[in-house]
Amino acid sequence: MKSMFIAAGLMAFAALGASAEAAPEGNPPTSFTLDNGMQVVVVPDHRAPVVTHMVWYKVGAVDEAPGKSGIAHLFEHVMFKETKNIGPEEFTSIVQRSGGQLNAFTSWDYTAYYERVHKDQLGKMMGLEAERMVNLTINDDPKGPFISERDVVKEERRQRIENNPNALLQEQALSALWKGHPYEITVIGKMEEVGALTPEDGLAFYQEYYSPENAILVVAGDVTEDEVRTLAQEHYGPIAPTGVAHGARKWEPVSPIAETQLITHADPKVRQPVWSRYYLGTSLSRNYDEALALDVGLEVLGGGMTSRLYQSLVEQQKLAINIGTYAFTTLHDEGPAVIYGTPVDGTTLEELEAAVMAEVNAIMDSGFTEEEVRRARNKLAASAIYEKDSQASMANQYGAAMVLGFELDAIAAYPDKVREVTVEEALAAVRAVFAADKNYIVTHLLPAEGDL
Amino acid sequence: MLKLQLFSGAAAALLVSACASSSVPAPHPLDVSVAEPVFLIDTYDGDFVDIQQMTTPGGVSVWLVTEPSIPIVSVQMAWRAGTTSDPAGLEGLSNAVTYNMNEGAGDLDSLAFQTAMEDLNMSFGCSNSAEWTSCSATMLAENAAPSMEVVASAFTAPRFDQGPFDRFVREQEVALKTRETSAGYLAWRAQSQALYPDHPFAREVTAESLAALTPDLARQHQRTLMTKDRLLVTAVGDITPEALAPLIDAAVAALPETSDLSPVTPITLPAVAAADPVVVSLPQPQSLVRFLGPGLGRDNADYFPAYVLNYTFGGGGFESRLMKTLRVEKGLTYGVSSSIDPNPAFLVWSGGGQTKNESAGEFVAGIRAEMQKFIEGGVTEAELADAKAYLIGSYPLGFDSNSKIAGNIMSVRQDELGVDYFDRRNALIEAVTLEDVNRVAAEYLAPERFSFFLVGEPEGLSAE
Repeated sequence: MKSMFIAAGLMAFAALGASAEAAPEGNPPTSFTLDNGMQVVVVPDHRAPVVTHMVWYKVGAVDEAPGKSGIAHLFEHVMFKETKNIGPEEFTSIVQRSGGQLNAFTSWDYTAYYERVHKDQLGKMMGLEAERMVNLTINDDPKGPFISERDVVKEERRQRIENNPNALLQEQALSALWKGHPYEITVIGKMEEVGALTPEDGLAFYQEYYSPENAILVVAGDVTEDEVRTLAQEHYGPIAPTGVAHGARKWEPVSPIAETQLITHADPKVRQPVWSRYYLGTSLSRNYDEALALDVGLEVLGGGMTSRLYQSLVEQQKLAINIGTYAFTTLHDEGPAVIYGTPVDGTTLEELEAAVMAEVNAIMDSGFTEEEVRRARNKLAASAIYEKDSQASMANQYGAAMVLGFELDAIAAYPDKVREVTVEEALAAVRAVFAADKNYIVTHLLPAEGDL
Repeated sequence: MLKLQLFSGAAAALLVSACASSSVPAPHPLDVSVAEPVFLIDTYDGDFVDIQQMTTPGGVSVWLVTEPSIPIVSVQMAWRAGTTSDPAGLEGLSNAVTYNMNEGAGDLDSLAFQTAMEDLNMSFGCSNSAEWTSCSATMLAENAAPSMEVVASAFTAPRFDQGPFDRFVREQEVALKTRETSAGYLAWRAQSQALYPDHPFAREVTAESLAALTPDLARQHQRTLMTKDRLLVTAVGDITPEALAPLIDAAVAALPETSDLSPVTPITLPAVAAADPVVVSLPQPQSLVRFLGPGLGRDNADYFPAYVLNYTFGGGGFESRLMKTLRVEKGLTYGVSSSIDPNPAFLVWSGGGQTKNESAGEFVAGIRAEMQKFIEGGVTEAELADAKAYLIGSYPLGFDSNSKIAGNIMSVRQDELGVDYFDRRNALIEAVTLEDVNRVAAEYLAPERFSFFLVGEPEGLSAE
């Protein structure tokens, strides 16, 4: 399936880490705030007569009420349905007739909508987003679009999660890691809870969270700050703040994992076992310096073919087909730091785990070299330059960072901050996360007995 | 629109050697006293992109888009020779070649080669499709010369060491196992076996063919795949033609001039497909549905009408009739789509989506019913206008990043569409009439032309 499906995205996490290098001279991103509280960010890029227009709402799965998992994401779909001045299913037609592409996505921390169009169409896109910020119609007809969209989301859940044994297992592991924290709710929602969501739930959610003071506008592309300011004041400026959007969200520090546990998922579709360990990591919002250091340290430990774990387990010991590490450091609250691997035939998951952890412990004892930390830092910093090639990903990065409360200068400073991470800091972050006294979640993805 | 610029080869070479790393070989001996013009640059100033066409002093045809606003350069190379070139019994050989192209060269073993790329913050890698072998290098502009030196070493002295080669084989062995439960793969295999079982496009890597591969065979095959006469080069980024040309020449200097490979025989799909869908059993909650029937090529006068028609049929996201009916009205699927592929060797109109097993029969019947509506009622004037408005209005979105431009200009070269294609394309779409579209719909969207393949545990299927 191509990425053409509209209103369909479910972005697990945005690449806040790889944000902007210092912008070209004379064209730095700027920001301002409208009188109604809506923040605006402008990211100039004059290579083509194209703009990416995004509206980010400060609401995501973290804000869902008990039993209402998936409403932030289902609501994202509903936003494309009908408004007072736009007929059913007309929103997409108007954008595409304007030569535009559009989509939306939902995460634990935010929901975002975007249109990519010729710059001449920017005002029209703002008019459309402003319209559905205040005038959405939610039909309470039991046979109406809210209900049919619920069925679509259930198919989306089958396609993304339930067809895929690995995704099913990861969903269980994340729920265990975040036990007791609002993130424990899976973003797409539990099948039975999504199926029970009502148009009344949708309307209440809309009235609580969709409001200019709870939104951030990001425009990247062939525009100036003045052009954006004029259009934004015209289209979004007249919208009164509702005053009900939560100042305080349900964010809270994630509690340490209470006990180490093994989660196994066996499925006849699995032909190659996979092993993972999920530890609790950190985040740029909770502890900026430690999160940066963790990103650098994990790059050295398991970030690619040159990493310590790959060289040891795949190249030298030949016990694994692949091995790696990653961490979700761009969520607001602490996310997982993961080590995963696939054994070669003849090696059990227990044998692989023992060999991997022996190597991890040996590395944490002996430390990193200045040389490998320097390469990891440079790789992360250089990715910020490569990211600048995509107007859409620049808009994404600024939106994802600002919605968590970061300021423009902090985003622009990312490459410099990465380059300041020392060997000691990178090592300390890895040692803290994978310390011997930490509990963790082990996952085993296993083949099931029986014929297909 | 066309500008000609002459450059002195000697001056160009001097310019490069002044800023390049000292170990980059000069393209040819310098004689500054002879200002002989050796390469010619045709600059095509298009509405969407300005393309500089040149033949380097070493004889390589390059299309370059100079874009100075971001300090990166990407270079793409493509050779018209892909996995169909694997000798019988050695399926996987072309993949072994491309896998190993960044696994060591010259004095650098795999780890040293990967480390060198990290030191330069560059990437370089190669891949195959059935008919093409492609390599791509992305680098920071300030490191262009030493980065292209790494690329040059990969083409000049690739190592094909036993270690990475064995790792390739181990990964492929896992891939052989896991593909057996991949719905997309199983649908592709069912399609190949039903429609063109003896064609090279249906060939697969097997445990036996994998066991027969050796580093020596890969080393030889690299020199069959990557020859100068099959090579197309495009580049986009913060670099001038004069700076780029000698770097390209040095990179490909050691490639053989030519090799013998036969073109692939085109596949002709049956005009009337089997009525019963082919079902492959796989235990999962959804069925993957794929359909395909005969398509048409770019040399066919009906290609653009078909392209515009496909937007309304299944190519236009939410605006397509398949999505409006099967997703929006009936809630049967997260997504359903269609596309036309103008590959001259395999002209198809295809599409598909996924739905819960219980509704698979309704989904297939729904797709066929939508096809039938095109036959009977055609497309409306409003639908045609919407399709044109989107296809023309959204075209600039494909030119807002260096990587998109690089991909676009390479595909224009691969499909031999001409340097002015981007500027001609919208007029070709504008010229499509309702009569054209409806004639094409009646011919190509007839349900009986399409074969259906389902993977999952579908229910409710019946022969049509």
